[in-house]
Amino acid sequence: MKPARFDYYDPTSVDEVLALLQQYGDEAKLLAGGQSLIPILNMRLAKPAVLIDLNRVAGLAYIRELDSQLQIGALTRHAEVERSPLIATRQPLLAETVRQIGHSQIRNRGTIGGSLAHADPAAELPAVMVALDGTFCLRGPSGVREVPAGEFFLMYFTTCIRPDEILTEVRVPVLPPRTGYAFLELSRRHGDFALAGVACTLTLAADGTMADCRLGLTGVSMTPVRATAAEARLQEGRPEPGLFAEAAGLVRAAVAPESDVHGSAEYRRHLAGVLTERALATALQRASVLLETEQLETEGGREG
Amino acid sequence: MQVTGDFQFEGPRLSVWALLNDPIVLARCTPGCEELTPDGPDRYQATVKIGLAAVKGTYTGVFRIADKQEPASTTQPATMTLQIEMSGSSGFVNVAGRMELADNGPVTRLHYDWDVQVGGPIAMVGQRVLAGVARWIIGDFFGAAGKELAARQQAG
Repeated sequence: MKPARFDYYDPTSVDEVLALLQQYGDEAKLLAGGQSLIPILNMRLAKPAVLIDLNRVAGLAYIRELDSQLQIGALTRHAEVERSPLIATRQPLLAETVRQIGHSQIRNRGTIGGSLAHADPAAELPAVMVALDGTFCLRGPSGVREVPAGEFFLMYFTTCIRPDEILTEVRVPVLPPRTGYAFLELSRRHGDFALAGVACTLTLAADGTMADCRLGLTGVSMTPVRATAAEARLQEGRPEPGLFAEAAGLVRAAVAPESDVHGSAEYRRHLAGVLTERALATALQRASVLLETEQLETEGGREG
Repeated sequence: MQVTGDFQFEGPRLSVWALLNDPIVLARCTPGCEELTPDGPDRYQATVKIGLAAVKGTYTGVFRIADKQEPASTTQPATMTLQIEMSGSSGFVNVAGRMELADNGPVTRLHYDWDVQVGGPIAMVGQRVLAGVARWIIGDFFGAAGKELAARQQAG
């Protein structure tokens, strides 16, 4: 298990990376955490002429907040997101999701940008990006291009990143007030690729009615899926189990998964519904706690 | 694995039959087909370059059209099987692609039932996406064939 011959570059700046991409384009592969690329190189399924190692590039690993958006550098390791106090308080859905990626060894090396650019159809982060309407920042020879999550994923393992571009940053909005969340997935063994997974946020209005609800699914299509029909139904109802079961039915009707040795298409479809229902219940519970706390604080304020 | 589906051609069965028996059309419509040279009746040597993202492979082998049944009556469907046996450094692909063409007024309804076997390293790594990729490639093939037919109809 050794890769085929390649030329190796380890640039230290994004500009250098862009110059290399200009020169080699399609012939080159970018190496981030290597958790997906290295196995396919070693099995010689991919034989790029050039490997551009990003690990020495400065300024691509960071987590910061600006104007209610979290900006995450593409080279940020999953483990850093997992442990970030900013993520934990401002976008806990991301923290919950990242914890379910592979094993801790994988999360120590694997990067946010690498996972998203790899676009595995069963990966966790793509579902979160579409559910949150995240943004992808791609740098190319003519500057930065911002792509909404809904337009980023094209196909299995295929994104809209051009051969002369590099993903430098992803952005997600912070969770609004009174918002519960959940990421649920099921795999045959811990750390395996998910058979199906659901990212969910649920925002309650101050009077306890539904203000907003988002659902992103993974493992059920060539790309992550936003469950728009289910979201629309959820928006017009009262947040309660009956409505969640209805939404789960709409999710089952909307997805067209494939069969493989790990699970049949029918099973995956069923699972997408079950996970949706459970994710909604968890998100509602968390949102209700926040709503109650908010109400208590308001009352406390009045009394004081 | 079985990949089944339907495709509608905007033209009579006779034209669709001729289209699918034309090696030039087969070569043009097969995604990634780099070479298709006749090698006996209804038999071709093929080179196809296909892949996803960084995983690309070149496969060489044989395309064959077999079990041709073309009844004169248009009430009965015409059938044929496209047999594909290709191999490359990342594995092999064997296909028995049964196709049934039924006249339906001015259009032809094609029903396909393809048995696709993939083996070797590519199957080990790509197992999760094989069915979806096969469906995508087959859809691409018929989509391109549909465009060829439209171009021919226009040329008259």
